[in-house]
Amino acid sequence: MSAYLISMATFVGFFMILALALNLQWGMTGMVNFGIAGFYALGAYTSGLLSVKLGWPVGITIAMSCVTGLIAGGLVALLSMRLREDYLAIVTLGFGEIVRLIALNEDQITEGPRGLKIDARPFADMFDRETYPLVYLALVAAAVAVVFVIVECIRRSPMGRTLRAIREDDVVAEVLGKNVLRHRVQVFALGGAFMGLAGALYAHYVQNISPEVFMPMVAIFIWMSVIVGGAGNNWGLLLGAGVVMTILEGSRFLGDFIDFLDAEQLSAIRIIVIGVLLIAILRVRPRGLIPEPKFSFAASSTEQGRQPSTENAK
Amino acid sequence: MSGQLIINGIVNASLIAPPAIAFSLLFGILRFPNFAIGAYVTVGAFIAYALNVGAGMPMWIAGLGAMAGTAVVVWLSDVLVFKPMRGHTPVTLLVVSIALALIIEHIIRLFYGADVRGFDLPLERPIKFAGLRITGEQIDIIVMTIVIGIAIHLLLQYTRIGKAMRATADNETLAEVRGINTSYVIAFTWFICGALFGLTGVFAGLDLVIEPLVGWYLTIPIFAAAILGGIGSPYGAMLGALLVGLAEELTVLVLPSSYKIGVGFVIIAVLLLIRPHGLLGQPEIKK
Repeated sequence: MSAYLISMATFVGFFMILALALNLQWGMTGMVNFGIAGFYALGAYTSGLLSVKLGWPVGITIAMSCVTGLIAGGLVALLSMRLREDYLAIVTLGFGEIVRLIALNEDQITEGPRGLKIDARPFADMFDRETYPLVYLALVAAAVAVVFVIVECIRRSPMGRTLRAIREDDVVAEVLGKNVLRHRVQVFALGGAFMGLAGALYAHYVQNISPEVFMPMVAIFIWMSVIVGGAGNNWGLLLGAGVVMTILEGSRFLGDFIDFLDAEQLSAIRIIVIGVLLIAILRVRPRGLIPEPKFSFAASSTEQGRQPSTENAK
Repeated sequence: MSGQLIINGIVNASLIAPPAIAFSLLFGILRFPNFAIGAYVTVGAFIAYALNVGAGMPMWIAGLGAMAGTAVVVWLSDVLVFKPMRGHTPVTLLVVSIALALIIEHIIRLFYGADVRGFDLPLERPIKFAGLRITGEQIDIIVMTIVIGIAIHLLLQYTRIGKAMRATADNETLAEVRGINTSYVIAFTWFICGALFGLTGVFAGLDLVIEPLVGWYLTIPIFAAAILGGIGSPYGAMLGALLVGLAEELTVLVLPSSYKIGVGFVIIAVLLLIRPHGLLGQPEIKK
């Protein structure tokens, strides 16, 4: 059971990195991304293939996953320069599906539906088999912490305010002399890099990746995490990722109590519950469980420590 | 070889055209891309399956039943889900529509499982001429799509409700001010579109297979057709469907057929870069 909890916590970690990346792109900057599964797959296959086919050390392959995510994110963002946000949804969804189709069909390279077996694991020879899951969990937790700090720093910085301005009204931001296109490309590329990182960590954790994992459904779970937690709020979505994972995994145990449903029906019910909850939360609490704090000038100045005396005036 | 591909392309286009028209009409009044359209199509396919195979009714009654049943389901999806959320941002509604698609798809999976099914129809020999093949069912699909296209044209152009639909799509507030009962018009639009989605489900069951994901595989070609023709323009959607249908089949000449589903996306991406408002659409004035 505790091994199960450790593995579940590790998966929550992957979700958290993806959710933080989406929050950077959508929650803070207002750029829709439904191709999360594509970036995730790109990271997983980059690291996996470099390590299996070329035998590169794991540390370098994981770094390369971030680089491919970065480049892919930048290119997709360049597509967005003339697109409305709902069109961007379709384009990013298409990106994700095309990545999956390539992984599925170019099976001389990716092993296709048979799945790519990856033997390399970070720090594998330094720990024994018993403690290794905990070590990996710590590694994922460290990655979550690093991504969280970076995203939170951006949110509090002047750049974060520019991004929110772009989210609220890109025309006004442009008029105020902000380079909207540059900011959008930067943010989308950085988010892509984080998603690539999550993919690489996932690949070396499960050690066997196949295209059916990277269905568009992944994007829904991550959107769900961000929306439940509260878009624009990095703390909220950590909670959101936990809630979504608990529903996804927790409902597995329902099978022990309800014996008149088979596994197929249970998995269907699980998705129905997720869908209904998502709609209900958007109806009742459209800004999430922990909404983004309302921006006020006093709050923003205290945040930077310039006028600590105004703290009471918030 | 390529003659056969063109025939396949036209059949494919006939499958995409009715839902692309419906998607365009819906976008006109809702102003967000409704990702649940694929699920609506699946509902149509399964209602027809239940009536045809389950209740043993003849195919044409099952088809009409599927249109009526899907129209009700689609209208209910507006009443229960979308109507209370009017005024939310397009992205919120888009996420809601994806969640709705998941719910509908998995309710069907809950009752029917993921098995592949087909209608209870006698096997017919395809008609052959000059080395080309086409089945009687495919001819039915093409003919009915043409009839539907003309009917929608007449509805929009010459009837009172059609004019009201166009007015509401153009400017809802203005239509309201001019005495049009817009909530009635919107409900009517949902019904018509629901019937079109139901019919597409029947077509999909005839030409493809019946399974819970059948609509999802059609979603992207439908989007591509509607965007290609200029979103919100029903005539553009027909033209777009023809181009997407042919493009999907003709790519088999240069790419393995497993990449067919990616073609729609590539068309969308390239088109949005060159002509963001589609082939027949009007550029939208921003602020």
